Amino acid sequence: MDISYKRQWETRGSRRRAVPAEAPTSYYNLPVIHKAHWGWLVIIYFFLGGISAGSYVIATVADLFGGPDARRIRQVGRYLALGALLPSPVLLILDLGRPERFYRMLRVLKLRSPMSVGTWGLTIFGGFCGLSALIQTAEDGLFGSFTLPRRFLLALPSKPIGVLGTLFGFLVGGYTGVLLAATAVPLWAKNYLLLGPLFLTSAMSTASAAIVLVLVSIRSTSHRTLKRLERLDLIAIVLELVLLLAAKANLGPIIARPLQVGKLARVYRWGVLGAGITLPLTLLSVTMLWRKAPARLLGALSSLLVLVGGLLLRYVMVEAGHASADDPQATFAFARKP
Amino acid sequence: MSATIPLIDKTMVGQHGARPGAMGFLTDTTLCIGCKACEVACKQWNQLPMDNFGFTGHSYDNTGDLAAATWRHVVFVEQISDSTGQRATAMAPFQSNWLMMSDVCKHCVNAGCLEACPTGAIIRTEFDTVVIQQDICNGCGYCIPACPYGVPELSATDHQAHKCTLCYDRLDSGLEPACAKACPTDSIQFGPVTALMEHAQTRVADLQSRGVDSAYIYGDRAIGGTGGIDGNNAFFILTAEPEVYNLPAYPELPQDKVGRAFLTTFGAALALGVAAVVALRG
Ligand code: SF4
Ligand code: SF4
Repeated sequence: MDISYKRQWETRGSRRRAVPAEAPTSYYNLPVIHKAHWGWLVIIYFFLGGISAGSYVIATVADLFGGPDARRIRQVGRYLALGALLPSPVLLILDLGRPERFYRMLRVLKLRSPMSVGTWGLTIFGGFCGLSALIQTAEDGLFGSFTLPRRFLLALPSKPIGVLGTLFGFLVGGYTGVLLAATAVPLWAKNYLLLGPLFLTSAMSTASAAIVLVLVSIRSTSHRTLKRLERLDLIAIVLELVLLLAAKANLGPIIARPLQVGKLARVYRWGVLGAGITLPLTLLSVTMLWRKAPARLLGALSSLLVLVGGLLLRYVMVEAGHASADDPQATFAFARKP
Repeated sequence: MSATIPLIDKTMVGQHGARPGAMGFLTDTTLCIGCKACEVACKQWNQLPMDNFGFTGHSYDNTGDLAAATWRHVVFVEQISDSTGQRATAMAPFQSNWLMMSDVCKHCVNAGCLEACPTGAIIRTEFDTVVIQQDICNGCGYCIPACPYGVPELSATDHQAHKCTLCYDRLDSGLEPACAKACPTDSIQFGPVTALMEHAQTRVADLQSRGVDSAYIYGDRAIGGTGGIDGNNAFFILTAEPEVYNLPAYPELPQDKVGRAFLTTFGAALALGVAAVVALRG
């Protein structure tokens, strides 16, 4: 036996707890519930999975409704969906306590367990990402012009495949919020109706920002194409702002504490709300209203900010959940109805 | 130390959703003397390694919390002042000015940990208890925040989730769990849940008639086993508010939210799909 086994109350540093000393009734301020162990692996997965899901959705919509102008969006979207998805299973498996047993997730499907639903959704979505990216490579002529694989791939019904894959894309983009919500952690569970929509909206905004960045850096797209993506980004971040404010208001003063005082609160205020939402919102409005603005530069800058904000949003949401699980008063407030 | 527990629904007192044949614990805290024999017996029988030997500085409780290698935990609450903030000078009946309570997995009738587990490692046994199959668990850790009482924990040694099995191996051989066997005052009682619940109600009535007005059952549908959990197969008789023992008063089954949460997410997906069409239209 490993003698360095840490006792739980020792590993839960009181330093990181947002509990004030004057807490009324509690057992020596010890946590009531146990927090999840999720750290950067899961945070980065939430971020990349969101980008992948959003990119797939955007690629499909561009394919169906975008007309010839949106060809580039479709192309970058399909490749990005696969590219951002590929690290996800690695991150998730590394996060397991027993990584070599990962496949046991696939021995059952439990509809009331978001982790089970998500595992299956991610597996199926991975197939769609791979297939659509393959079709794209065939359209791009990477298989030569008259080879058998190319003709086979081009004969596939790419649009219906895209629509089906989009359904799973929405699942992968949104289930992460439901995953957090279906726990006893006050800060997550209290917002169970809003976390799914919030993560999905952020998936769309980060994905369109990532596509803009790729398009700008390969310098092969028209101003009109970029404008469309920026429009989508604008809608998504406005929705994100609304959802974030609603979620915060819904928490009430006790449960919202990790978002109000301390380091996480600063990251939330300046990183997520400031740099990730308000600043890109301003930049995008400037490019829309002021015609002579350096549109490409501002577009790229705001996209970069949206991406940083999206990553910080995941970080804050996960870490604030841990802080809230460590706060006995938050659990008591959550589990005590008037 | 009079407890005022605002019950949402008094008619639910003593109500319990246990399935036929359910076995469980009644932990009557008014009988607990804080000897920690249950903690020791549990560690011995289940061969649980020691945690780091440490000093909490909290009361007489150096265990602190339930954890991967600690499946019984005796809570020590010293009642230094009464409800008016005065130092208590008179002894309260039964536990003097101490509250002691041996905490354990509640073996919920509808268990958050079990429903969360994506590998199906957590099962419901023929005794209606909740057990983690160690040969299946892959240490995903989702059951840990899914338990409304903070029971299971990932082990730093084997990285899998562990918690009380209600001594499944002993039950299987017709023995009572190690902690109940070791308890010298019968504060921990083992038996069929329905019989224990009847006994608990008689005991609470008896305690109240002897001046302990604050005695009540924690773990029925009225308090402790609320919000879709539908009762705990391991329940308690307490004499102060649940929070004093670090227990949630009206916990909820987390998975009851999943359907509605996916519904709003689906709504958001529709809205974002329309937004994408509007924004990207050629
Ligand atoms: S108390 Fe927690 S660990 Fe025990 S059965 Fe209920 S949900 Fe599972
Ligand atoms: S840690 Fe093990 S028991 Fe807990 S949910 Fe994951 S697979 Fe199931």
